Amino acid sequence: MRGAFSSALIRLARHDPNVLLLTGDHGYALFDDFRSACPAQYINAGIAEQNMVGMAAGLARTGFRPFVYGLSAFVPLRVLEQIKLDVAHDLLPVVFIGDGAGFVYSHLGTSHQATEDIACARVIPDLAVYSPADRFEIDACMQLAYDTAGPVYLRMGKSDRGDVHTAPQGEAVRSPLCVRPGASRDLAFVATGSLVRSAVDIASTHFPQASVWSVPLIKPIDSRAVAQLCGNTRVIVAMEEHSVFGGLGSVITEIAAAHSPTRVLRLGVQDRFSDLCGTYEYLLKEHGLDQASLLRQINHFLSPGT
Amino acid sequence: MTQSNDTSGRFNAVALRRTILQMAYAGSTVHIGCAFSIVELLAVLYRNHLRYPGNDPRAADRDFLVLSKGHGVMAQYACMRELGWIDENAVRNYFSDGSKLKGLSDSRIPGLEVTSGSLGHGFSVGVGLALGARMRRASRKVYALVGDGELNEGPIWEGALFAAHHELNNFMVIVDENGFQAMGRTTEVLALDSIAAKFQSFGFETAAVDGHDEQEIDAAVRALWASASTAPKALIAKTVKGKGVQFMENDNRWHYTRLNSETYAQALALLGNPTS
Repeated sequence: MRGAFSSALIRLARHDPNVLLLTGDHGYALFDDFRSACPAQYINAGIAEQNMVGMAAGLARTGFRPFVYGLSAFVPLRVLEQIKLDVAHDLLPVVFIGDGAGFVYSHLGTSHQATEDIACARVIPDLAVYSPADRFEIDACMQLAYDTAGPVYLRMGKSDRGDVHTAPQGEAVRSPLCVRPGASRDLAFVATGSLVRSAVDIASTHFPQASVWSVPLIKPIDSRAVAQLCGNTRVIVAMEEHSVFGGLGSVITEIAAAHSPTRVLRLGVQDRFSDLCGTYEYLLKEHGLDQASLLRQINHFLSPGT
Repeated sequence: MTQSNDTSGRFNAVALRRTILQMAYAGSTVHIGCAFSIVELLAVLYRNHLRYPGNDPRAADRDFLVLSKGHGVMAQYACMRELGWIDENAVRNYFSDGSKLKGLSDSRIPGLEVTSGSLGHGFSVGVGLALGARMRRASRKVYALVGDGELNEGPIWEGALFAAHHELNNFMVIVDENGFQAMGRTTEVLALDSIAAKFQSFGFETAAVDGHDEQEIDAAVRALWASASTAPKALIAKTVKGKGVQFMENDNRWHYTRLNSETYAQALALLGNPTS
């Protein structure tokens, strides 16, 4: 997925010399190819994220197309006010890439983990929020972010969990993508980012009739498609490596509350920090987001008595 | 006179301050002292330095005046009125329901480049504008006007490092050193010591002026641009908060106090009029 990100960025930068990559001194090996392909379009702003975002606004005002890269713990969180005032308020075409979202930096602790970024970003007016699940989605999201020519936050989480699609997605990423068809009107899975893979695995093994949907565009959300899915399905299980407050689960419940009486189980990070460290898989488990824990929560929701 | 290559008599400091008072009284607004301290700085920039081809505030090849200390925005409105970018109704109806001109700089108003008031933003945007202009090989200049209190903000110094490292000599920060911030004197809140020395140590070429002496300001701006140095520029302007109306000068209450009919009349009388 990171390879697809780098390739897409190089493709866009070669296509349009106004595309710039700004990094806050992050992405050491990730940008080797970009730097050799487009050296004049690479700016290391130093360990100074607030200034980097303000500068990106200035560069956009002089016709450039900045892609601002940082860890999602810093971009968007640390620079949320710069994104709001300097960029989003004027619909400037700046794309923010937040890498390592969720628990990717599982050993490094809270400063490098981001489970609140979607919630923070989606309340900024006119800021789009993308959360791709695999290399096909990230390729399409990068192109869409460029074509949209407005402010976008693109969240990049755990990147090596395997593909959920088998072919390029293109403009289809604007709507929830069916990654596993299912005839059930009782249960559907709706997930984003790293947990789409988990949703597919759980459904295949335990709920073979349930459909699984990936949502690469959290905002703007295709609310008609979501409302339709809610209207057709008794229970929706929303899954994300993000707080249960303000992320995909919240988006689904907001739409469901207005359009349909469906029940929604929001699976994500509860309202707490990581006390402990360990491997990525360990930390998922510690937060109840490994497959066994997820399955237990789903079964409990479906049959509370058992 | 080296002061002016604009003989129209525009940007007269007394006239600008009268507009500020008119707006402040019409809108019953605060921040009068913050606007008064930068009147001569803005007058010199608009009269002699800022290029707006076709008098168009959105001209594609204009220079940039970034009011990072958004609290002084009434001084900029006063200049924009003289340029014909703001009409009389907007002045008379300042702060009325449904009006566009706000109490802080808002980039959606043609002529204002940034949304500021949350401090420390405009400086970085200005550095980005300067970098963009240089990458385009355009001769556009960028002025970022910051308050001395605003220098408390961290991003200013992040941007200063970047501007110096990248030798953005088309960027000039102008510091309105009026010695006050919202809650008191800068020496009481967070002492800045020598602002010039700080910017010098960050790699800026600096000049210090009396921020109410238009000839001195004009000469210093010209000299900084004329320098062969690749360093970004810092103009430290020593100013008086509330300058122009005696009972407002160096009285920080005029950061917050609103005019009543009595103080409005007194202030106008103390200012005099442009022709006197």
